[in-house]
Amino acid sequence: MQPHQPAAQKIALPGVKNVVAVASGKGGVGKSTVATNLALALHMLGRRVGLLDADIYGPSIPIMMNIKETWEPNGREWPLEQYGLKLMSMGFWVKPEVAMIWRGPMVAKYLTVFLTQIPWGELDYLVIDLPPGTGDAQLTLTQTAPLSGAVIVTTPQDVSLIDARKGLEMFRQVKVPVLGIVENMSYFATPDGKRHYLFGHAGGQKLAENASVPFLGEIPIDPKVAECGDRGDPIVHKYPDSEVAKAYLKLATTVATEVAKGARPEDLPGLAL
Amino acid sequence: MSSQTPRPTNLAKDGDDKLIISWSDGLRTTHTWQNLRNNCPCASCREERLKPPDPFRILKPSELVPLNPVQIEPVGYYAYKITWSDGHDTGIFTLELLRELAEK
Repeated sequence: MQPHQPAAQKIALPGVKNVVAVASGKGGVGKSTVATNLALALHMLGRRVGLLDADIYGPSIPIMMNIKETWEPNGREWPLEQYGLKLMSMGFWVKPEVAMIWRGPMVAKYLTVFLTQIPWGELDYLVIDLPPGTGDAQLTLTQTAPLSGAVIVTTPQDVSLIDARKGLEMFRQVKVPVLGIVENMSYFATPDGKRHYLFGHAGGQKLAENASVPFLGEIPIDPKVAECGDRGDPIVHKYPDSEVAKAYLKLATTVATEVAKGARPEDLPGLAL
Repeated sequence: MSSQTPRPTNLAKDGDDKLIISWSDGLRTTHTWQNLRNNCPCASCREERLKPPDPFRILKPSELVPLNPVQIEPVGYYAYKITWSDGHDTGIFTLELLRELAEK
């Protein structure tokens, strides 16, 4: 498998019905956790789902999905499959201790490879776990992938909300519909059912209201989430009856509803010269 | 939000020197290729335009032959990229910019 120059034109993914990007302005808000559990929740709703790890520099999907081995790009069939999801990540090609010290064009090349040269087959949803920020990876995907929309992940603090706003603005500028904002690490529920909003309350909701985009819900804090991620068995898969898993199932239903509203813009017309 | 911005519904050539864009709000805009190139939004062209005019500037050979677009292609849902006969292809013309650049 050889990376070609990134195609400037939009990539056709004929078997993939919907491509959903999971993004945030800020790192560390749980984007990969949300992307993985959202993908698994969509799968639990009976959909065919792929998960593409677009974080070339710091891929998290291999550890979260318990894939420890690495292979040569030509060493096996792609994508991998785990817990019913089709998976692709740079971490399947590069050992965890190797740092990818690349400039933007290389990131663009490999993302294009992941989209064009991996036989994703028939999927209802391809969930893309974006790296944080508004840089090369985001631009490449918004310029080339047929995105149905983006889910913005934030935590309740202002320091995250301010960057989530930048992410929102980026998608607005490149005319990719924002399906909504999900607030991760929203509250901690004690056994008596009381919710403790440790990092402030309703910041995500206010941001959604200000930006006139749907608020997709709150995901509670639960130490089991991190434990499950590190052990390679995401909480939606391992504890499907937990409150967090229920929040993800609700999120998956809401995302599916927003995608079904058909917000994906028509492709722009071309002109042969 | 993004759906409020009018979108091109059709692109057409008018002779050799003009591009006509039909928009979803019914507007039709005319653009000479020369004007598009003069307003190329790429970083190097923008920087060039910010420099004070140099009366002693020597024309490059590429500036002596007529400039033509060789390709215009959509970029995502939000812009067009034009490749010119001199090889220049770094300008990404957003839909908003194309509306602004319409010939009055």
